[in-house]
Amino acid sequence: MESIKKLLEKFSCEYVEDYKKTWIKAKLNSKEDLLSLGEVLKTEGLRSLSTISPTDFLDADVMEVNYFFEDLDTKRNLWLKVDLPRDEESCEIESLTPLFPSAEWHEREAFSMFGVNFLHHPDLREIIKSEDFTGVYPFRKDFDWDAHEKNQVQNVQQIVDAFKKEQEENEVDLDPDSSETILNWGPTHPASGPIRLRVHCDGEEVISVDPDIGYVWRALEHLVTKKDFVGAIVAVERLCFMDNINSMTAYALAVEEIAGVEITPFAKWMRVLLGEVARVSSHFMGLGMFFNNMGLHTLAMWNMDTREFFLDFLESYSGARIATAAVEPGGVRYGLDMVMFDELQKALDKFDSSIGEVEAVFVKNPTMKMRAHNVGRLSGDEVHQFGLSGIVARASGVQTDIRIDEPYDAYSELDLEYITQERGSAQDRFMMLFAELKQSIEIIKKAKAHIEEKVASEEMNPTKDHMVKVPKKLPKGEAISRVEWARGEVLMHLVTEEKAKSPYRLKMRAPSFNHTMMLNYLLKGRTLSDIPLIFGSLYICQGDLDR
Amino acid sequence: MSASLFHSFVFPGLLYVLLWTVGLYWFFRKFMAALHKRVGPSFNGKGGSYQTLFDLSKLLTKESITPDGVNPYLFSMMPLLAVIIAMLPSAFVPWMDGFVVVDSHYGLLALVVLIGIEPFLLFLTGFGSNNKYSFLGGIRILTQAISMETSFFLAALSPAVLFGSMNLTYIVEASSWMSFAVLLPGFALYFIALLGLLEQPPFNIPDAEQEIVYGFYTEYSGTNYFMLQLAMFAEFMAVFSGATTLFLGAYKGIFFDSYFFFFMKMLGIAVMMMTLRAATPRITLAQMLKFSWKYMVPLTLLNIAWVFLAKSLWFMGA
Repeated sequence: MESIKKLLEKFSCEYVEDYKKTWIKAKLNSKEDLLSLGEVLKTEGLRSLSTISPTDFLDADVMEVNYFFEDLDTKRNLWLKVDLPRDEESCEIESLTPLFPSAEWHEREAFSMFGVNFLHHPDLREIIKSEDFTGVYPFRKDFDWDAHEKNQVQNVQQIVDAFKKEQEENEVDLDPDSSETILNWGPTHPASGPIRLRVHCDGEEVISVDPDIGYVWRALEHLVTKKDFVGAIVAVERLCFMDNINSMTAYALAVEEIAGVEITPFAKWMRVLLGEVARVSSHFMGLGMFFNNMGLHTLAMWNMDTREFFLDFLESYSGARIATAAVEPGGVRYGLDMVMFDELQKALDKFDSSIGEVEAVFVKNPTMKMRAHNVGRLSGDEVHQFGLSGIVARASGVQTDIRIDEPYDAYSELDLEYITQERGSAQDRFMMLFAELKQSIEIIKKAKAHIEEKVASEEMNPTKDHMVKVPKKLPKGEAISRVEWARGEVLMHLVTEEKAKSPYRLKMRAPSFNHTMMLNYLLKGRTLSDIPLIFGSLYICQGDLDR
Repeated sequence: MSASLFHSFVFPGLLYVLLWTVGLYWFFRKFMAALHKRVGPSFNGKGGSYQTLFDLSKLLTKESITPDGVNPYLFSMMPLLAVIIAMLPSAFVPWMDGFVVVDSHYGLLALVVLIGIEPFLLFLTGFGSNNKYSFLGGIRILTQAISMETSFFLAALSPAVLFGSMNLTYIVEASSWMSFAVLLPGFALYFIALLGLLEQPPFNIPDAEQEIVYGFYTEYSGTNYFMLQLAMFAEFMAVFSGATTLFLGAYKGIFFDSYFFFFMKMLGIAVMMMTLRAATPRITLAQMLKFSWKYMVPLTLLNIAWVFLAKSLWFMGA
C-alpha cells in the first residue's frame, strides 16, 4: 500500500487517503496525468481495471470519473478520481484501453451513458443502450426521460430503422465470391439468451465475433435513483435472477457504510446463509447450462430438481422463490422462524443424496472432457489483463475471492480457502462451479449450525435481531462495496447528496460484462460448435451484462 | 390387389408407421422424462398417452409457412419424399415367420440403400430452405452421412458374409445363438453407426440446436414439420428393424416365434439409444470425422475379416 502512495506522490493529487483495508482513494488534479499514472500502476502490479464509473454533478458542473484499479494477487486496490468538464464537447479524457484491455467495454459504456469521450480508444461505439438513445446520454442528470418516453412511436421507429439498416449493410463488406457469412447467433437463438453475437464465419470456422448486447437493458442504475434507499433493492436484485441475494448485500453494505450503521451478528450470518443459498441455486443453473450448450439437458433437469428444494427455503423465508427482496440496508428483511430451517435441512439432505450421481455421470463424463478439455483456455496473465473474476479467474489459477480478500458480513469468521484450477479451460471452469457448489453447501451447513447454536444459547434473537434502523435520509457521502457474487466480483459505487432520500448515483460493476468481452478473443479461429460451449463456460448472465 | 393395398396402407405401411410414430414418440417422452427426473406428458389420456396424438394432429392442421425466396416445390416435396423413402425398407423386412412383402434376394441391399438415401433428402431440405443455419445443417448432414454410412454399410454386410446370402428371410432363418455371438461385434458397430446415421447423441451434429438452431429443421413448420418428424420415426423403424433382422434373429423368440419378439427387440435398441441420449453430450464435427475414419471404418473392416475367419472355422460344414 505504501508503495502505491509513494507512486502517487509523483503526481499532483488533490488528496491521497486510505480507504478500508485494501483500498487507497486518490484524486488527480489533472486529467493529463492519467495515462502516465496508468503506466506506472501497471508496473506496480495493479494490472486490472475493474470498472469506470462517471458521476455527473450537475450543480458543480463537473463530470467526475472514477477508476477502480485492482491487483488480484496482492489485494491492493486504488480508487482514482479525476474531474472532467461537463459540457459534451470538452468532456474527454485519454483512453486507458491500450494499457488495460479490460477498460475497453467499460469506456464504451461510460461513453454511451454519460458522453465521456475517450481519446484514442480503438473502438468507441455505443453499447448497451437501444438505438433511440443514439447521440444522447441517458444517465446524465439533465437528460429528460419523460420527454424521451413521450415519443414512444418515434423511438420504436428509430429502433426498427436501425435494425433494417444493419440488415442491409450486414454483409456488404464481405467478398461475394467467398464462403464467408455473418451469422446472427441470437437474440432468439436456442442457446443464446437475450444477447446477439454477430459471428463472422467462413463455413464452420469463426473469423470474429462481435457481441451486440443490451437486449435486457433496464437502466437499473438510473432506476435506483428514482426510488428510496429501501425501495432500490428491487432494482438491485434484478441484476440477475439467479443470484439476487448477494447483489442486494453489496448495495446494503454501501448504504450502511454511508449511514454509519453496524448490523447485528444475526443479520450478518443470515446474509451469509441466504447468499450461499442463492449461490447454490445459481451454480446449479450454471452447471446445467454448461451441458445444455452441448446438447444434453439431463444435468439441467436433475439440478432443477434439487434446486427447487433450496428455492423452497427461500420461499418459506421471504415468500418469494426468485425475486426475494430479502436483504435490505440495516440487515435482513424478515425475522427467522426456526421452523424454516427444516426446509433448508430438507434441501441439504436432498443435495447430499443426489450429488454423487451428478458427479459420476456428468463431472466425470468422458465426452464432456473430450470436448471441453482444450477449449477456451485463459492464462492467469489474461485474467489480470482483462479483469476477470469469479470462477473464470479461479479456473486459471488466480487466487481471488472477495469473500476472503475483503471479508464482509460474517465471512471473516469462516475460514474459507481459495478453490482454484490450473489450466483455465472450459472444463476447468465447469469443475470450478462444481467445487464451489460443494463449498457453498459446507458454508450453509456451518452458518446454519452457528445460528442454531447462538439462538439456543439465546445470544441471538431470530425474530428481533434481523434489522437495525437505518435513517431514511442519508448524509452526503460515497462508498464502494464489493461482494463475491455467483459470477464474480460485483462492485457497487454509491454516491449520495446531503439529506438524500434516494441514491444520487449507483454504479454496478457486474462480472459478465468483462467475461462477454472475452468472447471474440476466445472464439477467433475456432468452429461454430465451440460458440455455445465457450459461451456457457464463461457463466454469463444477460441480466448483469446489460443491467 | 387388396393384399398390396393392405400392405401399403395398413401393415407394414402407412397406418403401422403412424402408430409406431405416435407410440414411440410417447414412449420416448415418458422414458426421457424418467431419466430426467421429470413426469413427462400426463394430462391427456392414461399416462399422457393421447398427448403425441394431439401434438401430431395439431401440427397437421397448423399453417405451413413457406419462407420467401425458396423454391416451394423443393421445400415442400422433400419432406413428403423423405417419408416415402423412409417407409419403403419395411417392405423388405420379414416381420413375422413367412410374412414379408417383397421377398427379394437383394433384400439387404435394398434396405441399406433406402436407408442410405435418406440423409441426402434431408440435405436437400436444408439446401432448399434459403437459410444460413439450414444450409450449414445440410452440409453437416452430408459430411456425417458420407463418413458414418461407410461403416454402417460395412457393419450391415457382416451377416451377408456369414450366411452367404443377401436374402433377409434366409438370414433370419439361418441365424442361431452361435451366429449371434459371432455377429456381436458387428452389431455393436452397427449400433454406433446407427447413432450417427439417425443424428442421435453424441452424433446429433446436423440438427444441433445450440449451434445451428436445429439445422435443416429451422424453417419448417406445420404439416411439413410433421412430415419430417414422421420421416425421422419411420427411419428409426427402418434402422431398428434392420438391426433386429440382421443381428438379433428378427421374430425368433425364446419359446415361440412371434411379432411380439420383433417389437421388443426394436424397443430394446430404442431404449439403448435413449439412455445414451440422456447421458452423452454432443461432439464436434471434427471429432466425429476423426472418430469415423480413424476408428469406425478400420474396425468394421476388421469385423468383416473376423466374420470370414469365423465362417471358415465354424460355419463351413453347415
